Amino acid sequence: MTFDLAVVGAGPAGMAAALAAADRGLRVVVVDEQQRAGGQIFRRPPPSRDTAFRPSAGYAWAAGLIRRFDSDTRLTKRFGWSAVGALYDDDRPGVLELAVDRPGDGLRVIAARRLLIATGAYDLPVAFPGWTLPGVVMAGGAQTLVKAQHIAPVGDVVLAGAHPLLLLVADKLMREGVTVREVAFAQGVPKPAELVRALGAVPGHVRMLAEAGGIVAGLVRSGVRLSTRTVVTAAEGADRLSRVRLARLDRSGRTTGPARAVEAAHLVLGYGFSPSTDLARQLGCDLRWASARGGWVVAHDERLRTSVPHVLVAGEPSGVAGADHARAQGTLAGLVAAAELGHPVPAPAFAAARRAVRRAARFATVVQRLFAPDREALGRLATPDTLICRCEAVTRADLDACLAASPFISGVNALKLSCRAGMGPCQGRYCESGVASVLAAARGRHIGLGGSFAAHLPIRPVPLGDLRALDPDASGDRPGGDETPPGP
Amino acid sequence: MTPDPAWRPTRRRPGGTPVTVVVDGRPLPAAPGDTVAAVMMLAGASFRRDRDGGPRAPLCNLGACFECAATVDGRPLTRTCLTPVREGMTVETRERR
Repeated sequence: MTFDLAVVGAGPAGMAAALAAADRGLRVVVVDEQQRAGGQIFRRPPPSRDTAFRPSAGYAWAAGLIRRFDSDTRLTKRFGWSAVGALYDDDRPGVLELAVDRPGDGLRVIAARRLLIATGAYDLPVAFPGWTLPGVVMAGGAQTLVKAQHIAPVGDVVLAGAHPLLLLVADKLMREGVTVREVAFAQGVPKPAELVRALGAVPGHVRMLAEAGGIVAGLVRSGVRLSTRTVVTAAEGADRLSRVRLARLDRSGRTTGPARAVEAAHLVLGYGFSPSTDLARQLGCDLRWASARGGWVVAHDERLRTSVPHVLVAGEPSGVAGADHARAQGTLAGLVAAAELGHPVPAPAFAAARRAVRRAARFATVVQRLFAPDREALGRLATPDTLICRCEAVTRADLDACLAASPFISGVNALKLSCRAGMGPCQGRYCESGVASVLAAARGRHIGLGGSFAAHLPIRPVPLGDLRALDPDASGDRPGGDETPPGP
Repeated sequence: MTPDPAWRPTRRRPGGTPVTVVVDGRPLPAAPGDTVAAVMMLAGASFRRDRDGGPRAPLCNLGACFECAATVDGRPLTRTCLTPVREGMTVETRERR
């Protein structure tokens, strides 16, 4: 009736963990909101229109991992299901109950002895005037709409941000015949010394860098303007985007000179990634602030155990570090879960998994240093009228008014309670970084001192009726009943 | 009135037996495997409006931002970017708040 391991997220970390754990004899269930395995980095078209999967250079292992995961019949796979929280049942020590929900099916409970949080990351939101206009889309969104849904933007496109993913998306769009007007990076070009350091750390990743270099050359050949030290200061248009304003940043990260206007129907934003940590927050896992690794990340020991018993973390929630690192951590987490539940794991297997994590971390550190977002500079892009909380329509001026009226507010949660920012359907995922920036600027304190939004069950909005399935006294009403692993 | 769609099919988009979904009373053609959000974007359909009546559109396409949320087959706040189309599905973008 109880799984050994429940994995939330079927990206590189979740897939690797599930396979490593199943190989050691664990009964594993994997839950993911998407329809197929792969995570955001390897998002695939729906099964009904499958085409050969071609991972980008540097991820030669991806096709094999996905094939192994897809064809593995030992694993219980639940696609289209959202994890909405986890609970402990006092009557069953050592067992976690993971609540999952799917439109049309309602809420079910999965019992498991270990839980792995492998929930990935999403594009780092950056608030600026006009960012709610239709036509503004995040880089990961633009990429997956083309890749997995086979739709492309009509009209000219500007890409802006701070992450090399912008180059891959620009290339993808151009191959679909889309006119890319400009790719604007907030930072300067890496200095020669930085590049030399980067190359020294990336023996296994030369192909990935070469791919990025090739894309840059191709964009320049096609007449795309590539700007550095340039940020979007406004998205303008009546009912949808028609114009983007771009401004130069000076050495101190402040906009300088007048913004220039570029006509565009679409603006693609890629400032980096925020780890998805809401399930970890709901469980009470300790977080720590690591700006270059995505902001608030889940604290863990070298065996990927969080501060909460029986809960492990792997991949981006432990600190955004890319797919190689996620896969390596996933394998290690699968072995740790197996060992903790009494399944023998030979020492060399552990040692190899740890080495793989360290190797991948080395490359990730270099990339993080080169492309770390300047949060203070990005925080200044929001003007008083800019919506920080898109769901509840809370502007920067609203936040500043709350802060002026309540001089003792020093954390984002208190600010949330006093002005509703972070209380809408996205539950703060799209405004936490903006709220934290406004708070830090208003109080003149480091952004990491403002804390992080708390998360409560359900971490995704579900109809109230669905929650009745969580009430043990109403077990007869559980619409789908409990999830159970396949028989012995 | 529907504005010109801001998205178009790519070459790789397959044909196949069409599916029809009804968005705010308007039947829209879809292909099996489409998400509701993609179908709406191709058709130039409106998504939710914010409290001040401002238009919104899908932002993240991965289930995080809820800008694409609508009432799907009677279930409010359903993320259309995560929802595959089914024949006869009904979508209402006016939220019941």
